[in-house]
Amino acid sequence: MKRTLLAATAIGFSTGAALAQDQVTIRFWDNQQTESGLSEYQRAAVERFEAENPDINVEVTTIPYPEYQQRLLTAVQGGNAPDVSSLDQIWMGAFAEAGAVVPLDEMAAEANVSADAFFPGAWESAIYKDQLWGIPFNVDVWFFSFYNKALFEEAGIDPQSTVTWEGLRAAAEELTGDGRYGIGLFAHRGEDTVVVLNSFIFSNGGRVLNEEGSCALTEPQAVEALEYLASLAPYAPQGILNASSGSMRELFLNGSLAMEFWPALEQPTLKNSDLDWDFVVGHAPEGKTPVGAYGGWNLAIYESSPNKEAAWRFIQFMTREDVNGDVVDLIPANVAAAESFLEENRVGPDRIMEHLNNAKPRPLSPRYLEISDIQVTLAQDIYSGMDAAEAAEKACGAIDGLN
Amino acid sequence: MTKNDRWLVWLFLAPAVVLVAVLMYYPMLGTVIESFYSTSFINPDPKFVGLEVYRRIFSQQEFGQIVVNSLLWTMGVVLLQNVLGFFSALLLNQHLPGQGLMRALVLLPWVLPGVVAAIIWRFMYDPQLGLINSFLISLGVSDTGMAWLADTDTAMLSAIVAAVWKGFPFSTVVFLAALQNVDEEQVEAAIIDGAGPLRRLVDIVLPSIREVAMINLVLTTILTFNYFDMIWVLTRGGPQNATHIFPTKIYDLGFGQFRFGDAAVYGVFSILVLVLLIALYFAIQRSSRPRVARA
Amino acid sequence: MRRQTPRTRFALMGLQTGLAVIVLLPFFWMISVSLKPASEPFAIPARLWPEDPTLANYISAFRPEFQVYFLNSVVVSLSTVAITVTLALLAAYVFTRAQMRIVGIIMLLVILAQMFPASAIIIPIYRMMRAADLLNTYASLILAYVTITLPVAIWMMRGFLARLPVTLEEAAAMDGAGPLRAFFEIVLPLCRPGIVATAVFVLIVTWQEFLFALSFTSTRDMRTLPVGMNDFIGQYGIRYGELMASSVLISLPVIAVFLFLQRQFVAGLTAGAVKG
Repeated sequence: MKRTLLAATAIGFSTGAALAQDQVTIRFWDNQQTESGLSEYQRAAVERFEAENPDINVEVTTIPYPEYQQRLLTAVQGGNAPDVSSLDQIWMGAFAEAGAVVPLDEMAAEANVSADAFFPGAWESAIYKDQLWGIPFNVDVWFFSFYNKALFEEAGIDPQSTVTWEGLRAAAEELTGDGRYGIGLFAHRGEDTVVVLNSFIFSNGGRVLNEEGSCALTEPQAVEALEYLASLAPYAPQGILNASSGSMRELFLNGSLAMEFWPALEQPTLKNSDLDWDFVVGHAPEGKTPVGAYGGWNLAIYESSPNKEAAWRFIQFMTREDVNGDVVDLIPANVAAAESFLEENRVGPDRIMEHLNNAKPRPLSPRYLEISDIQVTLAQDIYSGMDAAEAAEKACGAIDGLN
Repeated sequence: MTKNDRWLVWLFLAPAVVLVAVLMYYPMLGTVIESFYSTSFINPDPKFVGLEVYRRIFSQQEFGQIVVNSLLWTMGVVLLQNVLGFFSALLLNQHLPGQGLMRALVLLPWVLPGVVAAIIWRFMYDPQLGLINSFLISLGVSDTGMAWLADTDTAMLSAIVAAVWKGFPFSTVVFLAALQNVDEEQVEAAIIDGAGPLRRLVDIVLPSIREVAMINLVLTTILTFNYFDMIWVLTRGGPQNATHIFPTKIYDLGFGQFRFGDAAVYGVFSILVLVLLIALYFAIQRSSRPRVARA
Repeated sequence: MRRQTPRTRFALMGLQTGLAVIVLLPFFWMISVSLKPASEPFAIPARLWPEDPTLANYISAFRPEFQVYFLNSVVVSLSTVAITVTLALLAAYVFTRAQMRIVGIIMLLVILAQMFPASAIIIPIYRMMRAADLLNTYASLILAYVTITLPVAIWMMRGFLARLPVTLEEAAAMDGAGPLRAFFEIVLPLCRPGIVATAVFVLIVTWQEFLFALSFTSTRDMRTLPVGMNDFIGQYGIRYGELMASSVLISLPVIAVFLFLQRQFVAGLTAGAVKG
């Protein structure tokens, strides 16, 4: 890191574009990407940015996901926030409400950065109280159902039949037995639990919050989805309440799990295995279209930053069509960048695009993390046999009780 | 030290006292003050609300569950850890072959970093891939094994077992040290009097390690009560709060949900519960102290 | 020594073996997983030993970052041990020798501090570190670690010093030695086992500390080993093989130190913790 910074500084001086006192250094924090080799591309992109902007140095800190939230929080609380960072979509409301990050509407309007360039759900995830608080960086949808081809063939089931709820349940039942499981369900305390839950609710036309921001989980569409998910439990590996999408991965890889929900990001891992796999684009009741829950990251500028102008230039650079694809492991939020990224890096780019275009974000609330916690409890309730309507009632009591 | 050495007293004490005061009492005071305000990340201008947050949390069913869980967890781990520690100390005090090696090996779990131990146990408990279920199935004890950490009935017990594995070696060493100081002459005399092993244990060994046992109990209670890594890695307090204890709840509220005020209240409650627990120990010890002070 | 009948002896040996298995099995499995090639899926039922053991996970765990984290851990842990043991020795000496009511109260307060849950005080401490411009420095971690290990260290040293007969120092005082000289020449040399025991305890606690290290360091070149393990835990899953390999690598140094000092550790506890 040090060395690249020095090199970049050297370029800055040699071009003579900037006087020493005009040099600014911005601190950029990002979620540490898991895909190997990516950090190198990211480093190259930063160097390119520094070459294009000789007056700006970028100090990059990448942080593993499990600790990212705490680190950002302590940093903001302690007055030590970076200038710019990636923020999980679900944190936007809280960071905006807290005044930790600044609205970008004016800068975006001036620079002609607008919604058209990005996936609609991604852009929406950065809007809170009618202001824009971040620029979409990367996205994914947690509703691609990857399946083990061999297991489906052996059982004589057409994977496409699983796109309806009825078909999925029938297939799951058929594929379960002899130490094999039809479908992987998980309900540990984690966001993966919530996105899958939401994807099923969205696909039945349900929602988490209504227009007034009150809980909508007791609406029939949501309750039906909950009932349906609970009905899949017998075909899932036991231990749902402490299982994560990560633990399901190991079962999928050793051939004992026929189907699992993941984002498109799962593809590189599966490509590295000997497994023969493909995916279907989510599941919905007969006659409805599967709607997945959006996940992803936005780039935001911190209130405490003395270099907001430089930070903004960096954000523009990172979300540009020719850069965005090089610096993400999820899908670029810039649609043009996403097209070529998917073409190059993912199986089934068209199916992925279609799914990205109609996915929905999770509720945009400053209390989202509490809502998410309540939804995890809801998932655990239904998987341990509580009546879906009753569980939804309980969850709504808790969500509407937040004050 | 004499009266004239007062300066030495303060010189020797100063660094430790200053550090503990500045880095523990002062922040704790800050947390106590924070607990009277309604603060969270999204509400940067805190409002004084007195005992309001205490009242709200106290009235939640979840609070009771966390108190019960914390007590179950602490007493379960402390009791099992010290019983197992005591018996393995007895065993390692029998001058069996290989004893030197065993005394070193038995301490390994305690030396193992906490996060590492927790990750290993999470994997051991995995319903499909874990060693424990595979073992039970191959023995024919069970057809499918158990979802140890995912079942509200077994999650706490499973977490306790893992923590005991990690912690009992420390109790073993302390007890072992105590056993080596048991008066051999007294034991020989008892043998001549025809006392069997059990008699000797009850009459001579136990009374002479009483105080050590008490120190051990108090120390392990404090460490276990505030033991965060194990449960956080195993279950994050789940399923359905079945394993949520004070440290995991405080962390979850503060860093997981940005609710600092609530976390502060739990922090204050946590200390109160722990102090009561320790006070209870001392009360029991005092009331059962034998008349003859020294064995 | 008491004699055991062959039968009893056999039974005791059996118990001892059982104990060894319970203690070692998780370690064995940690090593087994660390040797499993990434391409070999986990078997059901679990396989005790990988089909195709490989050191690849170790090679990938022993990356340049690991060496940085390792160095950080060593610097922070050793400094903490040195400072904590020194301060604990001084404080414990006073606590056992000074006959002043206020000192007794202070001791109680210091030891009570052990009960504070770390997660409840970490944000205020973070703000202080920030104000003192100590974030991302060894100093922030060493200060925090010294403080959190002091109460127990004082307690351990106190138990030990309470065993040392005061008569020795009194004799020295009669010979005209000042209190400082009495401390350094009489008390200190006799304390060695207690010092070793306390030092090992502090080292083990510090080596695995996670929460403070996570909060006070953000740059990659200041992280310690336990925090560095997160590199293998992503948003969507865990790389078990590398995680276990790096677990083994993290554990080895403390285990080595411990095995080396194990006799003195036990001796120190024997002398200190016993006879109340």
